[in-house]
Amino acid sequence: MDLKIVIAGLGGEGIIFMTRVLVEGLYRCGQPVISTETHGMAMRGGSVISQIKVGDYRSPLIRYREADLLVVTAVEEAQRTLPYLKEGGIIFKNTPQRGAHCIDASGIALRIGNPRGGNLVLLGYVLAHLAPAISLEPFLEVTEELTPERFLTGNLKALQEGWQKASQANKGEDKGEGDQAARDN
Amino acid sequence: MKQRGLSGKVLMGNEAMAWGIVEGGATVAASYPGTPASEIMETVFRIKREHNLNIYTEWSVNEKVAFEVALTNSYLGRRAAVMMKQMGLNVALDSLMSSAYTGVKGGFVLIAADDPGPYSSQTEQDSRYLATFAKIPVFDPSCPQEAKEMVKRAFELSEEYEIPVMVRPTSWVCHSRQGVGLNKIGERDEIPSFKKDPQRWAATPRFRYRLHRELNKKIREISSRNHPDPVSNPGGAELAVVASGVPYAYAYDVIKATGLEERVALYKVDLPYPLGPEVDELIQIYPQTLILEETYPVIELQIGCRENARGRIDLTIPSEGELTPDIVAHVFDTLLGEGVSETRTPPEEGRKPSLCPGCPHRAAFWALRKALPQGIYPSDIGCYTLGLNLRAVDTCLCMGASVNQAAGLYHSFKQGGRSIPPIVATIGDSTFFHAGIPGLINAVHQGACFVLLILDNGTVAMTGGQPTPAENSPGKRIEIEEVVKGCGVDFIRTVDPYDIPLLIQLLKEANRYARDEEKGVAVIIARHPCLIYGARDEDRREGEIVVGEECDLCGLCTERFECPALRTGPQEGPMIIKTLCTNCGFCVFVCPQEAIKRT
Repeated sequence: MDLKIVIAGLGGEGIIFMTRVLVEGLYRCGQPVISTETHGMAMRGGSVISQIKVGDYRSPLIRYREADLLVVTAVEEAQRTLPYLKEGGIIFKNTPQRGAHCIDASGIALRIGNPRGGNLVLLGYVLAHLAPAISLEPFLEVTEELTPERFLTGNLKALQEGWQKASQANKGEDKGEGDQAARDN
Repeated sequence: MKQRGLSGKVLMGNEAMAWGIVEGGATVAASYPGTPASEIMETVFRIKREHNLNIYTEWSVNEKVAFEVALTNSYLGRRAAVMMKQMGLNVALDSLMSSAYTGVKGGFVLIAADDPGPYSSQTEQDSRYLATFAKIPVFDPSCPQEAKEMVKRAFELSEEYEIPVMVRPTSWVCHSRQGVGLNKIGERDEIPSFKKDPQRWAATPRFRYRLHRELNKKIREISSRNHPDPVSNPGGAELAVVASGVPYAYAYDVIKATGLEERVALYKVDLPYPLGPEVDELIQIYPQTLILEETYPVIELQIGCRENARGRIDLTIPSEGELTPDIVAHVFDTLLGEGVSETRTPPEEGRKPSLCPGCPHRAAFWALRKALPQGIYPSDIGCYTLGLNLRAVDTCLCMGASVNQAAGLYHSFKQGGRSIPPIVATIGDSTFFHAGIPGLINAVHQGACFVLLILDNGTVAMTGGQPTPAENSPGKRIEIEEVVKGCGVDFIRTVDPYDIPLLIQLLKEANRYARDEEKGVAVIIARHPCLIYGARDEDRREGEIVVGEECDLCGLCTERFECPALRTGPQEGPMIIKTLCTNCGFCVFVCPQEAIKRT
């Protein structure tokens, strides 16, 4: 697999957690992976991004216009971080609005009783687009290891919900044109 | 799908370095938290707990203390590590300079983490400079796996030459994650033994000259053994790149991505100081050589003949800001005469950080602006520097400076014969312990008059909630009130900043004492636990916060008060973001129309 992913959002949303699940899961799928995350001052509600590179890379930083996937947890960050996305790359958004690769991850998280689980719903949704190169199990396993007991059921559910949502879309039950592009890619 | 063996684990660079410390057999580790270094010590604590490891660990009160506690273990013939951010090394510089002369016994590793950018610091200084200044070797890792190995190599080198050794990671090593191979924890059993040697451990100036000569000899020997690693060396390359640290990784990736393997030779330097003679020889071989390093020209300055060398000194590489793969690609294009293929537009500045919803500091700053709007507000280093957004922070220099700058303001206005404005310094609890106390003693002793507002949230919040001498530590509790009293302060009040009206009243009272009556320093301790690291169930207030029809869209709550849980909604006017709101109700107090209510 050769893949460059940028995750963009706001501090305090759990982007580090999401990055960890993604990176550790990919590693357990046998993929060489290197990533970065934002710590310190910037985390206090400011813009944060994580960068993940899968393949033979030495550095974790992604050049502008080179990301294959841009994953946006807070929709107001989408426009700003667009310069990372390569031509023909895919942008996944957490938003109640309809559109290609849009998913109301926060809404779904609220509905399943895990209001802070939106990022994992979104992650599950993104991961489904990487199948069959990967399966969900290693990511569930990592989530289980990293989640405190009282949030465990909610977090596993969130990841599964996102994955299923994308699978349904791929089966044509909720057809968006972007999902077609994802398969082609 | 195949599962990897247990030999490897995904680790953050800081976690990997912690493994380097325990695998390397340290029996003492000490640190003061600071981005990007904080997670190294946290991980040492975790490994100690999970593996029942026999190692002495402490979060010290500041970096100088940490350095000296760890160093002494090395005097006793045992391995020790001390970790800090780059600016922390400024605090410990006195100890570093002198310890290079005395040398060490057991392997002694100093990890100083730099923050090019900077992302979370006051400067983007290069700690490798301080290694050259102190004349100690410095490793410059390019990724987490290498950082771990270099910590272990540093122990070996330190022990072999009896010299402190620095490992200098940058943010994108510290906060990178990758699969890292783990080895056995190296528990060592050297018995602590102090061999008295006054000419070394207590050397007077007369003997210091001799120690300096020995130090120079060590550095010359290490230099002669320091060879750059020829990573790729195609015949007839037009350009050689000599790189260390993360810039090496950028060069590697860019060379590969742009198909320059046949045209560019790549050399990697693990130990940028003391540089061996070979880099000078390399430069004579190639038409031109590019030096890539972060953030200052340390390798470059050690080169004898710089005629064919490109880098920071001739401004091929920008002199400020972090190096990025984009800059590296751009410089390759320029040096290889490719013209500039394309300029890639970076994203615009993102949203600036702000204090969390319900943060007790926001209440304190609001009260401060209400009580003494004409004041000057020196402040300090921590989450509360974000009081800038509430216009309640006027200066931010370095750890502990708020107290001295408040005293400085008083003395300057007084000497200049002008009317003295209200002066209110703000400092966090941990920063107070770190560097505020000597300043307070000085201010009281010298007769300065100002208000010192200690923002006590019981933790080092900015860096991840580490303990302070007063809170969350198993050690003997040191009360801030007692310390303040011991510094000679007579006016001491403690208040919960959630009680905004009471804090306003106390600030006015303190200002009367300090400014109007010129009686000295008045200290108010605003104490409420951090909502992220110390939230208590009993603080959760009843009812729900709502915005009523009385709202006249003045924007005070969203812009000036800037609570992240209050945003301008899709319709006009503010709305409460329920998932963020902590129910603190400060906004109820703040709204001039009384439109925000608790139901």
